[in-house]
Amino acid sequence: MSTLDCNAFWNQLERWMEGERSSDAQAHLRGCPNCRGVVNDLDSIRQTAHAMDDADVAPPDRIWASLRSQLEQEGLIHADRHGWAETVKGWFEEIFAVVPRPALAGAYLVALIAVGFALAAPGYRHSDGAQISTRPLTAQLNTDEEHAISFVTDSDPVVAASLRKNLAIVDNYIALCEKSVQEEPENEFARDYLYGAYQQKADLLAQMTERGDTR
Amino acid sequence: MSSQPSLRIQQSWRASAILVPGLLLMCASPARADRIEKHFKVGAHPVVTIHNPTGLVTVRAWTKSEVMVVAKRATDRVDVDAEQIENRVDIDTRQIPDNASPGDLRADLEISVPEDAELQIHNDSGGVNVSNVLGDMNVETIAADVALEDAAGYLTVKTVDGAFVCTRCSGRIEASSISGNFRFIDLRSSHVRAQTSEGNILFNGEFLPNGTYELKNYNGIIEVRFSPTDSFDLSATSLKGKVNNEAKLGPSSHHHHFLPRFGNALFGSLNTGRAKVDLSSFDGTINILKRD
Repeated sequence: MSTLDCNAFWNQLERWMEGERSSDAQAHLRGCPNCRGVVNDLDSIRQTAHAMDDADVAPPDRIWASLRSQLEQEGLIHADRHGWAETVKGWFEEIFAVVPRPALAGAYLVALIAVGFALAAPGYRHSDGAQISTRPLTAQLNTDEEHAISFVTDSDPVVAASLRKNLAIVDNYIALCEKSVQEEPENEFARDYLYGAYQQKADLLAQMTERGDTR
Repeated sequence: MSSQPSLRIQQSWRASAILVPGLLLMCASPARADRIEKHFKVGAHPVVTIHNPTGLVTVRAWTKSEVMVVAKRATDRVDVDAEQIENRVDIDTRQIPDNASPGDLRADLEISVPEDAELQIHNDSGGVNVSNVLGDMNVETIAADVALEDAAGYLTVKTVDGAFVCTRCSGRIEASSISGNFRFIDLRSSHVRAQTSEGNILFNGEFLPNGTYELKNYNGIIEVRFSPTDSFDLSATSLKGKVNNEAKLGPSSHHHHFLPRFGNALFGSLNTGRAKVDLSSFDGTINILKRD
């Protein structure tokens, strides 16, 4: 029987991710599907990031600052209470150090992580009872997305139409996967597809911005 | 007598009336298409990079230790640069004036390369056809379709909605797309990994011993054709769609599968299960059908 609650485990999360795993933490993880989901997500993200090619572009600091502020505002991370916002930032920096994506695509990977956290704990509520939501973060990213779309407006109409059509396909795919994960939070198959959809969106937006940069 | 000069003047005005607008029209219309041909001597395993945003790219292998580039430009508003740096040949299509329309920028490239050449091809719209090249290949397109024939090496193909057809390929294949359809025909590859979101995937090839075949989509149809003598260990899962199977599967030979709590899944081995076949779809149909 574990003597740790979720908050205590989250305080040990950084050490856990670095391989230092106390028996109490292990026992807590065995009995807590929410924390197990978060750890699995972080492992999966770290493995995916390392599987990508060598780095060329890291997101600028302002993107992290903006996203961290959003994540804190939404209660997905709590810098003061749990003290792990900096830890998460460290993981993000580690991930971005090997991810060959322009800043916008990097931002979508952060969104993926944020949504992953939210979905990993579907029943999780703040102490004030508010349900976790990623809507403000998504809205911010949608603004960036509009910016990316404007890059391709003047390019070859066939290419522009193709990029727009496929962005709509991926958005629809993300919405359906999110719905599935929300309905069946334990469904790893659906979560895997959701991560895949976010990665596709990141890749697509990167392609769109690259076209704008090289025009 | 006085009518002669007047007639000459009239005739020259008539000639001017025809010639001047004609000349003006020629100046105003885009320059006619032209042809550029360049040759480069190369050593073993040359690398050829091709960046051609709009137009058809055709690459064929030949027996010469030479790369030949033949470019047909739609207009002179597009330029085709081809240069050699040691054992690498870079071919780059670029627009000359900023105000060129997309139609002006089309260039069709026909490239002949040694069969052991490595290719890196970027093409947004148009098409990419490669035949008989045995070196590694990386092809990226947006809307352009990709067709590889008799290719070997490590083949990586990425499109946004271009279709990909691989015929008699024998290399390691990794393909991804959002809405492109994939067709793998008469394949002899020991590693195939293909993922498309909205597209269909057809696999009609051999399952080599110890080979791995991973086909994944979001929706659409995944169709795998097998013969009764094939030997593979199968895992097929569709979260919201159907799995239709004609193979007589026995218990899984090498892998222990746990039936998932969600979706429709099928696990088992055909014969001794020497290859590994992993099919997954979110909302699509998976068909495992006997080869005709």
